[in-house]
Amino acid sequence: MNTIANIALRNLSRQKKRTILLGSAIAFGVMIVTLINGFAGAFSANVAENFSDLMAGHVFISGTEKGAKDKDVSVIRDDTALTAAVKASGAPVKYVTRRSAFSGTLIFEGKKIRTNVDGANLDEETFLRDRLLLKEGSWDAMEDRGALILSEKIARKLNADVGDTILVQMQTVTGQSNVGEFRLAGISFDAGIFGQMMSYANLSYVNELIGLAPDEYQTMGIMLDGLKRTESAAASIYAGLSGDVQLFERGVKDEKGAETPFQALMRQQSKETWDGVKYRLFTINEILSQIKQIVAALDTAAAIILVVLFIIIMVGISNTFSIVMFERIGEIGTMRALGVQRGGVRSMFLYEAVFLALGGAIAGIIVALVAMGIISLFDFGMENPAFIIMKNGHLSFYLPPLRAAGNVVVIALLTLVAVASPAGKAAKLTPAEALRTQK
Amino acid sequence: MGIVELENVRKVYPLGKVQVEAVKGVSFCIEKGDFISIAGPSGSGKTTILNMVGLVDQPTDGEVFLDGKPTSKLKDAELTRLRHETLGFIFQSFNLIPVLNVWENIEFPLLLGKTRVGKDEKKEWIDHLIEEVGLSDWRKHKPNELSGGQRQRVAIARALVTRPQIVLADEPTANLDSATGEQILELMKKINRELETTFIFSTHDARIVDIADHIIRLRDGLVTENVRRGEPAAAACSSGESAGA
Ligand SMILES: Nc1ncnc2c1ncn2[C@@H]1O[C@H](COP(=O)(O)OP(=O)(O)O)[C@@H](O)[C@H]1O
Ligand SMILES: [Mg+2]
Repeated sequence: MNTIANIALRNLSRQKKRTILLGSAIAFGVMIVTLINGFAGAFSANVAENFSDLMAGHVFISGTEKGAKDKDVSVIRDDTALTAAVKASGAPVKYVTRRSAFSGTLIFEGKKIRTNVDGANLDEETFLRDRLLLKEGSWDAMEDRGALILSEKIARKLNADVGDTILVQMQTVTGQSNVGEFRLAGISFDAGIFGQMMSYANLSYVNELIGLAPDEYQTMGIMLDGLKRTESAAASIYAGLSGDVQLFERGVKDEKGAETPFQALMRQQSKETWDGVKYRLFTINEILSQIKQIVAALDTAAAIILVVLFIIIMVGISNTFSIVMFERIGEIGTMRALGVQRGGVRSMFLYEAVFLALGGAIAGIIVALVAMGIISLFDFGMENPAFIIMKNGHLSFYLPPLRAAGNVVVIALLTLVAVASPAGKAAKLTPAEALRTQK
Repeated sequence: MGIVELENVRKVYPLGKVQVEAVKGVSFCIEKGDFISIAGPSGSGKTTILNMVGLVDQPTDGEVFLDGKPTSKLKDAELTRLRHETLGFIFQSFNLIPVLNVWENIEFPLLLGKTRVGKDEKKEWIDHLIEEVGLSDWRKHKPNELSGGQRQRVAIARALVTRPQIVLADEPTANLDSATGEQILELMKKINRELETTFIFSTHDARIVDIADHIIRLRDGLVTENVRRGEPAAAACSSGESAGA
């Protein structure tokens, strides 16, 4: 090895305490940042997968008819073509769900709350019973046509108990106001802000309330055997449907910066007119494209932490190396006298810094990976408010290798910047000055 | 033949608001292969003069000629190269590199600069030097495991490893007891004869100057006596031998 690099390495091991201290500071910073990166890396996949559960599908098909005054009516009247296309696509389908939904106001003893209610065919959606654990009541009570399952928070806000009758106000698909009655059949475990997405009623009753026929519905959800195949399955189902039914274009480009592709699609739809039902195919990824912004925000936060934390650490490193420079001033003088050029003295310090940074950063990543492994062993259960960001009730992590490598490079560069000034001072010393100052 | 010549060399150090004139106009000529002592009490300017001869510092006025060539106009990188190629250094406090062992400390100068020595040849030469300074059993030891005398022996081997024309030793015995100091000087003298390397050592100890061929005595930054083999020596190298003369 290069002599100067070799000496730099040995200087690090000579002052073990100091090296361990500085290295640990770097490792700690890298560990924090790596944990955030790892969390962000798994975040979007977990959220998408959990939303797929909530919305009962990875790929969705909804129908829209033009009603009176060109008002959009959301309905699927006959799904033979859809079912055929799904079957023909060869996509790895786990099951298909048929749902109608409305957003309305629940009223109980003077208390009101707005929520979304999903009408599901519970004979078909047996998985829902396993997925959504009830704290009170039972799924069996859903035999009752007007039965309703609410999440804990909403039930508490209404102050309603299992067996209570709850009034509901909503609009039909054609825009008429309507009222109905539900009986609270079950209360599910708290799901935080997603509780509002988790009110379930019988499809046939929801259809009645919003003015659809019993065998009609609004959205077909196609649950695949995993998130990964979503886009390819969507593409082949879409290809199978083209020609057979009226279809909205897919993947409308984001025209205005703030819009998601999904919003852009909705805007485009309201500008057109057509006869009969026109279908729209979309995926969980399109609905959750905002998740990407959250991930980006997390990564930005990690980057800011990286920089702030490291500016602090770098101040420490810079000061330490200034002290180190004075401690080794005699050695510097000796080396210069023996024929080491200025650049050699500078590189000795820079090598030392880079080795320190690399060692610390790699240790930090290893510690973070171990921590991730341990954290992901804990089972938080599916009935905790943060379930949406978890994978089967476990916190999960994915560290993109490029990001980890990028962090290491950033640390190494910052460390180089931190020691640039002491290294420069050491290089600038004349050998006579350095030799004289030594004692 | 003159190998080092100082011509009216002055060195002034700024010290706060005042200027300290450490060397006040010194001229002398050093012959190749001599064993030279620069003697004088503490503060007389010995280190300052050796630093200028060793090209680790530059005079305020005057000129230092090395092998007949003036050195005052050279840039830092050229001075460094010249130090590496023509000079060896022995220090009062030994100045070994603490993280390197005996063998590596001696090898160190060979790893600098551009010329590379063959591996076998290098090993043979370093082993020879280690034997010469009597440290064959200590090659793998770190400096902090050695006595002062042993450290100075390593330093002597290190100073010789590049086969320099001149070895400079600033009070090489000052940190040693007198018996050890004598041995070190004997060793330097022996090498001086064997390799015909010019040795210049400084000392404030009047008793050890007798070993030298050429004694230059200093006081308050001036030469008070310049004697070579019992004869007064000329302040300048004879013309024709030095480019500056
Ligand atoms: N860097 C410096 N700044 C100011 N004065 C110095 C410096 N170096 C040496 N001196 C002064 O110069 C004089 C000669 O010093 P030096 O060459 O070290 O003498 P010696 O080696 O003979 O003891 C002394 O008075 C010393 O104090
Ligand atoms: Mg001195």
